[in-house]
Amino acid sequence: MALMVPPANEKKRVKVYELKNNDWFDRGTGFCTGRSANEESKILVESEDQPDRLLLETKISKDDGYQKQQDTLIVWTESTGVDMALSFQEAEGCAAIWDFVSQVQSHLLALGGPDDALSDADMEPFPNPLHLPPPEIGNLEEIEHAMRNIATTVAGRDALAKFVINEDYIRKLIPLVETAEDLESLKDLHLLCNIMKMLILLNDSQIIDHIVTENVVFGVIGALEYDPDFPNHKANHRRYLKDNSRYKEVLSIADPSITKKIHATWRLTYLKDVVLARILDDPTFGVLNSLIFFNQVDIISHLQNNSNYLDELFGIIDNPEADLKKKKDAVGFIQSCCAIAKSLQAPGRATLYTNFINHGLLRVITFAISNKEASVRVAGTDILAAMIDHDPSMVRAYIFKSISEKKTPLTDTLIELLLKEVDLGVKAQAADAIKVLLEPQQPPPAQAQESMTRQNGEFMSKTRPQPQPNPQTESFIQHFYDHSANKLFQPLKDLEGRKSLVDITFHEVQLYNHLVEIIMYLSRTHQFRSKFYIFTEDLASRIAELLAAPQKHLRLTALKFFRQCIGLQDEFYNRQITQKGYFTKILDIVYATMPRDNLLNSACLELFEFIKRENLKPLIIHLVETCRPRLQEITYVDTFQTLILRYDQMQGYNPDADTTLFSNDGITTPNRTPNINGTRWQGVKDREMDPAEEDYFNGSDEEDETLPRIKKQRRDSVITNGVAISPMLKSLVDYPDDDDDAMDTSSSEPVERTIEPKLSPSPMLQTPPPERLSEKRRREENDDEDELGKLTTIKRRNSGPSVSSTGGNSTLKRKKAFVSKNENRDSLTDKGSIKKIEISLGAKGAAAEQGSKGDEDA
Amino acid sequence: MSDLDKAISELRACKIIPEPQVREICHKARELLIEEANVVQVDAPVTICGDIHGQFHDLMELFRVGGDIPDTNYLFMGDFVDRGFYSLESFLLLLCLKVRYPDRITLIRGNHESRQITTVYGFYDECLRKYGSANVWRYCCDVFDYLALGAIVLGTSSTLEPSFMDHSQAIEPVDNDVEIEIMNSRNEVTARFPRSRRRLFESEALNSSQPGTPSKIGPSGTGATSDAGGSLQSGGGAVLCVHGGLSPLIDSVDKIRLLDRKQEVPHEGAMCDLLWSDPDEIDGWGLSPRGAGFLFGSDIVKRFNHLNDLSLIARAHQLVMEGFKEMFDSSIVTVWSAPNYCYRCGNVAAILELGEDTSQGGVISRSNGDAGRSLQLLPSNGIPRSGPGRRYRVFDAAPQDPRGMPAKKPVADYFL
Repeated sequence: MALMVPPANEKKRVKVYELKNNDWFDRGTGFCTGRSANEESKILVESEDQPDRLLLETKISKDDGYQKQQDTLIVWTESTGVDMALSFQEAEGCAAIWDFVSQVQSHLLALGGPDDALSDADMEPFPNPLHLPPPEIGNLEEIEHAMRNIATTVAGRDALAKFVINEDYIRKLIPLVETAEDLESLKDLHLLCNIMKMLILLNDSQIIDHIVTENVVFGVIGALEYDPDFPNHKANHRRYLKDNSRYKEVLSIADPSITKKIHATWRLTYLKDVVLARILDDPTFGVLNSLIFFNQVDIISHLQNNSNYLDELFGIIDNPEADLKKKKDAVGFIQSCCAIAKSLQAPGRATLYTNFINHGLLRVITFAISNKEASVRVAGTDILAAMIDHDPSMVRAYIFKSISEKKTPLTDTLIELLLKEVDLGVKAQAADAIKVLLEPQQPPPAQAQESMTRQNGEFMSKTRPQPQPNPQTESFIQHFYDHSANKLFQPLKDLEGRKSLVDITFHEVQLYNHLVEIIMYLSRTHQFRSKFYIFTEDLASRIAELLAAPQKHLRLTALKFFRQCIGLQDEFYNRQITQKGYFTKILDIVYATMPRDNLLNSACLELFEFIKRENLKPLIIHLVETCRPRLQEITYVDTFQTLILRYDQMQGYNPDADTTLFSNDGITTPNRTPNINGTRWQGVKDREMDPAEEDYFNGSDEEDETLPRIKKQRRDSVITNGVAISPMLKSLVDYPDDDDDAMDTSSSEPVERTIEPKLSPSPMLQTPPPERLSEKRRREENDDEDELGKLTTIKRRNSGPSVSSTGGNSTLKRKKAFVSKNENRDSLTDKGSIKKIEISLGAKGAAAEQGSKGDEDA
Repeated sequence: MSDLDKAISELRACKIIPEPQVREICHKARELLIEEANVVQVDAPVTICGDIHGQFHDLMELFRVGGDIPDTNYLFMGDFVDRGFYSLESFLLLLCLKVRYPDRITLIRGNHESRQITTVYGFYDECLRKYGSANVWRYCCDVFDYLALGAIVLGTSSTLEPSFMDHSQAIEPVDNDVEIEIMNSRNEVTARFPRSRRRLFESEALNSSQPGTPSKIGPSGTGATSDAGGSLQSGGGAVLCVHGGLSPLIDSVDKIRLLDRKQEVPHEGAMCDLLWSDPDEIDGWGLSPRGAGFLFGSDIVKRFNHLNDLSLIARAHQLVMEGFKEMFDSSIVTVWSAPNYCYRCGNVAAILELGEDTSQGGVISRSNGDAGRSLQLLPSNGIPRSGPGRRYRVFDAAPQDPRGMPAKKPVADYFL
């Protein structure tokens, strides 16, 4: 090829990005040139630091995969399917390369042979030049009609977009809106609205960028106020967007282009959320999101490179003279920055935080979380949470520094906040922040870990590789146990000696919930330190006291602590549980809730089911030896009888023989039963009971009286709780009545009714599921249909694109397969909306691929 | 007017209520829900609804078509939030109604009632937008953890009572042979389906010991309370309602009771499956393309129904263009209650009405759910139970709201 085009070989400073694992990965900064040689045209980027190293060498193809976004960005997909982006320092540089690409492409297109990819039926080159009727009020119907026809093909859409931009068509349409309004011609307004909608849905970032500029936006949005789908309604978009008071300018920003960007971003958000919310298709949604994202990146990088501005901004907080409103706004401003930072790439985020911290971010947080107003405290904890999320070790380093400087470390401030805070949201965030700070090195994302542990606590604790101890984190955690833990858990420790939990206040309940959850977290993640701490402070006993709290959800939280202890299958916790006899209290809950089929009851059953299923021998032995009579009385599920049976089998007794009697009354366990009962009654005396319970407990504590009383209580509640008592349950609970005689006469022979150990597979399980879910997830890792799996891979919302073009294609294929197989259109639409969300997560990726794929999708 | 009633009327007008009040309502709801079983027992008559997905105006339309609470009993099978623009108003209204009329409305959990899902599919953002902080989202998520996992409807009738809103037409008794009736939102019958011949034959055979008695039992007061078929023929059997479907780990309804449901919806296991699985035209179990839960075939459903003495499983979770879809010889039905899903799918919605079996003076057979007991009652030949009489009310998206077109609430102020 002769040099048709003057090569754009002036050096343009540029950053090269590659989409990796749904994040834009920075390949480095360099200088960009366009070169044509040997029939091939290429874009080259030479590294800034090592000029002989090429950061990028890509051949320009004729596929229309290139996108110019804003003034400084070019995005495309490599033939290998990798999404790439060039971010130029200067708009002129970008424009030059863009011109080069366009010209090379049009040259290639002109040369295009029969094997051209564009020869697809719907890619027929559009008859050039394209013409729309002149923008006049009388022509609207014709314009709309013409546009609708043209927009049916990809080439048509491209040609239309180019035409609209070159002719500045939108600007010419705008006066018509006012004219039509003056004429009160609803029909024309509806036509204008349709035209504007179509223009936006052309999904061309240049058009959309154009639409939100100051001079154009009100005309376009004005037309969009008259939606023919809602003929009796007129929206008030213009009034909303014209309201300048919505823009809170803490400090005026010197650069007018940045201020413009801020407003444009706001309009884009409004467009996306309100004006177009119902009609947006996925590609346009993606383009809007990517435009918003890149604007935000520009704004943030401008701000953080502007040291004077930051000085002034953070100075507001430190200035004793500044008024409170101003300070609050400054906090809000910084909060917005941190919120945007969440979607930045890690290095960019790191720079931002370092910058902010150097200017006094920690002082801002301290100011905010000690503020009188809850909303400011919320903002403060928000900033803090974002910062800790970004890099806990960085925050830990700062905390160390303040410890060595003998200042109040942030941990103490947080603990203070958790203990004293009245706003439940702030309290919850403080608790979360404490957990993240105490996280050992680089574990899996907190959320996934949490749920995984919840599911397979026993499994995880054994198999999770011990994190490499990081000396700093280690000593941070040690410092926490040495200095802060006592303060944090003091309220729990104060439970000791508290006579009754009846007068427990609302805020105490919230606090205990958080504290128990923190302890659960610690015992999951810090193996020996937490064990030692829980042991020396006897926290488990305090939590056991909460098992008798009047608030059922608090009881549930306490119960979960013990469930987790059991799930960890750790000798240490097992010993604690058996030595301190906590099961008695858990059985108390079973008894108290037994006639009712409620959440607390189910949670208890799950705990005992777990012991049964995992066959935890030490616990079974302890349980049966100390609580046998009580276990025997619980017959409405077979869990407890099975536990007894297991025990008997372990002891080598033939379950059918009378020897079971000996194991109960035998020499080995002389005073056991009375003792346990003794503690039970002691524990019960002090707490308030509901009447039915009282009735039950006030009775004689001789064993043989207990059973009838329980039954009485059951009947009472059946009568008094007509609604709560389910017929199904009733039949189940009444079941033992049929066996009254057997129960009364031979209460120590649970084996009267033969209970099969439920080890044999149930009939449902005879057709086992094809494979474990975990395997399945692994297999489908790259499949973006995988709705749930996908969630687990995305840690931060808006953190980056998650649709790579290959992934997108496979969705498409699968989608088709699914439809034809199963004509069940929901999965199709479901998938559609899933994809949409992914695009919202990954604006850039979607934008990069929208060119060709968008039309297939539509 | 109590605070609660005030909140209800605010919410009915699609207005949000102050944060402290949300907190209070959530806490009250929690106290109620903690008392509910994992599988709530519900007595017929009841109207079963599927996904709502924050389409507030369509929820109002649902109440218009199905009757208002407390006049009609409702059972909502989850997915109240996400996707639509009014998740907050929809969920809070349902929650307020739950607190106000606890025995008139049952809410069970859907896969979208989860922290993880709501941060991605819109509810989290909506709370942030409408309240400026995530507090309300936290309160709601706390409530999610307490929602029941399923419900079992007892005392259903095998016949259809005349529609309660038949004002326009003279009340004509519905033919006892009608098993399924479909009505539109104007309360007009659009289709009726009789019980299949096979089933008729079966019931006649069972009644043969008393020739002359009608095979179906009439409404209460008619004296036609023959006990020929016992609970088997006069009732419509028990209906299990879950959001998603079955789990390979759950072979009886009782097994659901042994779950500790107060947790974030896990990624696998029985609780996850109940909320995520889908029926499919396969044999046995299959992998779900959703990445959670399983696909299950007709053999699984039929065996489960047989073992648990159920006549029908009602579930939601999948968009169906017609609003409802019965599968596997009517052993399972999908009910979808979000018309024009996402404001652009163009589907209609449906709710399922199950009538009350009045033939036994309101006494309900207690056998259901107890696997051991029900076996004695089941006909040994294993013929599936005949289903309850089912009335589907199909409705379109709410007519245009006079206050405006559905949209998200814009961010109020901006710094950047």
